[in-house]
Amino acid sequence: MKRVLLFVMLALLVMSGLVFGENLQRYEDVEGTVNLKFYYVVGVAGALATVIDGMVDEFNRSHAKIEVEPVYCGNYNDTMTKVQTAVLSGNPPDVFVVEISELYTLLGIDGIIPLDKYIEMDGGVEFTGQYFSALYDNARADGQIWGQPFQRSTPILYWNKDLFAKHAKELESQGLDPTRAPRTWFELEKYAEILTEREGSKTNVWGCILPGGWNDWIFESFVYQNGGMLISADAETSGFGSLEVLQALTFWHKLTNELKVSPPLRPWNQTPLDFAGGHAAMMYYSTGGLPLIRAQANFDFAVAFQPMQIQYGVPVGGGDFHISKDIPPENQDAAWEFIKFMTSPEMAAQWSRESGYICINKLGLDLPEMKSYLEEYPNASLAAQQLTYSYSKIMAPNFQEIRKLFVVNLDAMMQGLQSPQETQERLHVGVQLILDEY
Amino acid sequence: MLVVVSNTTVEFCHHACLVLSDGLSYSKLHGGGVTTVYKTKRRYLTIFICLLPSLVFLGIFTYYPIVDALHLSLYKSNAFTPQPIFQWFDNYVRFFGNPIFWEVVTNNVIFAVGTIFPTMLLALFFAILVNEVKLKSPFRLALFYPLLVPYAAAAMVWVFMYDPSLGPINKLLGIFGIHSIGWLGDQRYSLLAIMLMTVWKNVGYYMLIYLAGLQNVPAELYDAARTDGANWFLKHLHVTLPLLGPSTLFVFVVSIIQSFKVFTQIYLMTEGGPGYSSNVLIYYTYEYAFKFWQLGRASALTSIMILILLFLVLIVFGVFGRRITYQAG
Repeated sequence: MKRVLLFVMLALLVMSGLVFGENLQRYEDVEGTVNLKFYYVVGVAGALATVIDGMVDEFNRSHAKIEVEPVYCGNYNDTMTKVQTAVLSGNPPDVFVVEISELYTLLGIDGIIPLDKYIEMDGGVEFTGQYFSALYDNARADGQIWGQPFQRSTPILYWNKDLFAKHAKELESQGLDPTRAPRTWFELEKYAEILTEREGSKTNVWGCILPGGWNDWIFESFVYQNGGMLISADAETSGFGSLEVLQALTFWHKLTNELKVSPPLRPWNQTPLDFAGGHAAMMYYSTGGLPLIRAQANFDFAVAFQPMQIQYGVPVGGGDFHISKDIPPENQDAAWEFIKFMTSPEMAAQWSRESGYICINKLGLDLPEMKSYLEEYPNASLAAQQLTYSYSKIMAPNFQEIRKLFVVNLDAMMQGLQSPQETQERLHVGVQLILDEY
Repeated sequence: MLVVVSNTTVEFCHHACLVLSDGLSYSKLHGGGVTTVYKTKRRYLTIFICLLPSLVFLGIFTYYPIVDALHLSLYKSNAFTPQPIFQWFDNYVRFFGNPIFWEVVTNNVIFAVGTIFPTMLLALFFAILVNEVKLKSPFRLALFYPLLVPYAAAAMVWVFMYDPSLGPINKLLGIFGIHSIGWLGDQRYSLLAIMLMTVWKNVGYYMLIYLAGLQNVPAELYDAARTDGANWFLKHLHVTLPLLGPSTLFVFVVSIIQSFKVFTQIYLMTEGGPGYSSNVLIYYTYEYAFKFWQLGRASALTSIMILILLFLVLIVFGVFGRRITYQAG
């Protein structure tokens, strides 16, 4: 019996060694270098993971005392799931990027620290002044700043100039200019109808793709363009019951189900490939799709502001940097160094050139390589210009649950399974229920 | 953790089956009071000691989490309530009043019925065929290989197979004049698409079990059947099928369990969508647990699943377990 006991205790000892070994290692290393785990996300089609890894390498080379390990976590949903799980199980990444609407959830799980003290140390308003101020709106809560803008975008309208030229006569006969993109919903509908090419029951070219996957985000633009809002700023009341939302839903229903100028449900990552392959005359997509289209499209294309109804309007989008709460202070300091590096004028400009995202740091726009790039590709500066008309994206506690409801109902309507009225009813009631719970 | 709980739930049922069926055969073999009380006691002690290590692991990784999940399902517990609030059966009541929950349950039932029976029939059919043809190994290999492909890889292959424009399935259907079925992107077909893939993936495994069972069927019985003038179909109906009873019971129970464990292909191919059209209980639980971090809700779902599975497995053993012929003759 004693032997058995001895054996069991030995086994436990060995096992605990395995479990705690990693942690011991981590604290030993603090003397020399600080190791940071960085969870990041790629939210659009394309090979952006390699770009991030490259930037992290550059950071590691230039900072001897800090070693950042980048961990690719998939799309925005996957990444948030991983971050949530890691934080709540007590093993958070040191620094991470998640979608901006998740801020309240991050605060709810008490996972992040405010960045104000770091910002103050680095010059306060002078520091934040480098960045487009509209991008901080989604990072603010309770009078503090909790995130640092990084991969930020607005959804824009891409249009295929060659297809517009091909249908120039028809467009002109309707009084539409074939050399520019539509500027209003009314025009959008007309352009899309003319530009859709059908062969029997088969559609060869879609007039304008309203993509699935992030249709909630694109749809939010339409609500702003119609003068409405989705959730009140205090995240307590649903705005889905308004006439503005119903009109926007009806317009989407018309484009997808009555006129059939947009496919009912195109996967998010498939949409830019459709456009680049010439299967769509226009598409709504994140500005992060630019490099892929530039690389693959063998036609002339341009980007434009999203058409307006009563006003121009888009929600900002993308992801911000956050620093975890339950990590050693030296890791938090190191994480801030890393964030500053990644959003410095040089890095922001490089990131913008390679990813198509907005060059969040205004100083980056003055760099010579950025200037010559923007001269060559004027399309690349449009998303930043559109910021003039931007709103902060909807934010609410447990945004994932709201987003799921939102997307599922939009999908069902786009597929013709429920009317705009039913969709509105379900969203309004469902969203209010979720908001009431917190 | 909750998926682990759900999975271990399933494992638990699996163990229950094995222990039960062991018990059955044990009592059959050793029944009749031949052994003395002393010997019986000693034998049970030996068995108990041998089973002890797995009991410990089951206790830690299965029974404790089950009890914990049942307990947590009575609380409001999510990311925003650090201190769980006791609320009786509120989580259950909310689900029972939620049409989406019932849609998910219905999907799971459709999935179970629609995969278990085709899989079993096909597996039996292929096993008999493979047993009778001359060149056994190439056929066995062909039917068995889907099992060797990891689920994740198989799912990606099928995503391509189902692609509306590039996929071979739609190209094939195009020859017959059927166009553009959006297999995974269409509410009407997404669940069917997952079911087809699952049947393809599992048939080989069950075929192998049946094939093993077939080896135990004495050849004399077939000779006797032939003498009686039975044709191929009758021979298998009256000789093979009854003698494959234990294999069938095993296959049936395991496939019931499998049909509630279906996760990888749904996670990778449809994420339960479009809408909730291909969402099943375990994926729904995953969403509540890891996406929405609604631990109380997710525990309630887990508990519901535990009850459903226990109920099903008990029925199967109650109804079929007694009628199984364990030995020829």
